[in-house]
Amino acid sequence: MAIDIFVVLIPGLILGIIFGFILQRGRFCMNSAFRDIILLKEYKLAKSVALAILVSMLGFAIMSFGGIITLNPKQFAWGANIVGGLIFGFGMVLAAGCASGTTYRVGEGMMGSLVALLGYAGGAYFTKFGALNSIAKFLQDNTKITNPDGSALTVFGDLTPIFMLIIGIAGIALVAYFWIWRELRAKKRENKPMFDLSDFGQKAFKKGWHWAVTAIAIGILACFAYISSAAAGRNYPLGITGGWVGWNKYWNTGVDTALGWETWLVIGIVIGAFISAIIAKEFKLRTPKHAKTILIQFIGGSAMGFGAVTAMGCNIGNILSGFPLLSLGSLLSGAFIILGCWLLAYLLFMWRKD
Amino acid sequence: MVDKTDTLDCRGEVCPYPDVKSKRKAKKMNSGEVLEILIDYPLSAERIPETMKSMGNEVLSTEKVGASEWKILVKIK
Repeated sequence: MAIDIFVVLIPGLILGIIFGFILQRGRFCMNSAFRDIILLKEYKLAKSVALAILVSMLGFAIMSFGGIITLNPKQFAWGANIVGGLIFGFGMVLAAGCASGTTYRVGEGMMGSLVALLGYAGGAYFTKFGALNSIAKFLQDNTKITNPDGSALTVFGDLTPIFMLIIGIAGIALVAYFWIWRELRAKKRENKPMFDLSDFGQKAFKKGWHWAVTAIAIGILACFAYISSAAAGRNYPLGITGGWVGWNKYWNTGVDTALGWETWLVIGIVIGAFISAIIAKEFKLRTPKHAKTILIQFIGGSAMGFGAVTAMGCNIGNILSGFPLLSLGSLLSGAFIILGCWLLAYLLFMWRKD
Repeated sequence: MVDKTDTLDCRGEVCPYPDVKSKRKAKKMNSGEVLEILIDYPLSAERIPETMKSMGNEVLSTEKVGASEWKILVKIK
């Protein structure tokens, strides 16, 4: 079967390029977002992740009520969610980037992230189709709990779409008041303009974006991604892992049906980040200073690949896309991704104070 | 032109080492001294000045010196 260029390839690629552009401008990396909460007491990226989830939640709820999309939360399998999430969380600290962070940094020319990505794609493929599959399958099959009709468990059951709408609206209002409005008011007190649109081009293409701008852009993109992805036969919003697994499967087997929407999305992310970095003069081919770092990033990437397939999603599939759907499995995986990240970041960067 | 006391070269360090190392370095330095930090990682170019400010230090300048290379000058409080 030939690849459907107009439904699969072009939409996936274009959305990926936009996603990569936003990720690079917003420096949107969940490893940094979670780790910096404890390490640097710096909350901007964490706020950005929270707002992106809320905007997606509201968007998905509205599109679901409008009959544009069918909600498709991930399954709950506590053993797989806990083990996979934790290992993914450890892995992203070692790899120096989450699934999306590692992918977009390849576009910035960071060769350490390229090595991490190769580990990630390999680890994910071996867990999905190869020697490690029995471990993931054992955990997924033996700890799975579903609704009586076999559908995935969500926090509010049948009422989940309504609650997505309510939490989305209330959450955005709270974020707008407590975080955004207070920032604007502080600016006003210093007699700075609240919205400074001078040098717009400079701000949009040369400097890092404000966390709220990044979050809203990602939330809106996630809605378009859901529609486009569903039209291509993959009824789910943004994801990363499946894309790299797909490439691996294609090169290993030559079966071109492996090249689905998500494979073009991830290639698009690298291209988008590359374009963005070139415009901002932030592109540079570079290697980590120490050879040991490259080895650690490879091990970290491989662990992320195993963790993501076991937990049925990386930080994008489970947190950015899964949290808005209020999937119990995604929430548990996400909680353990964050926990794994904190545990290892504490041991590596905070425990031994020199 | 400011006289810098010390230089910390974090080029080629991966996330979050530029931030962690500059924080540790700044803590060891004495009041009034100036630290020059060299980095090539975009996120840290924005995050290090923020962290330094929240530590109470004065960020004298953040200068882009080349493709994905920055020089940050910090005066220790």
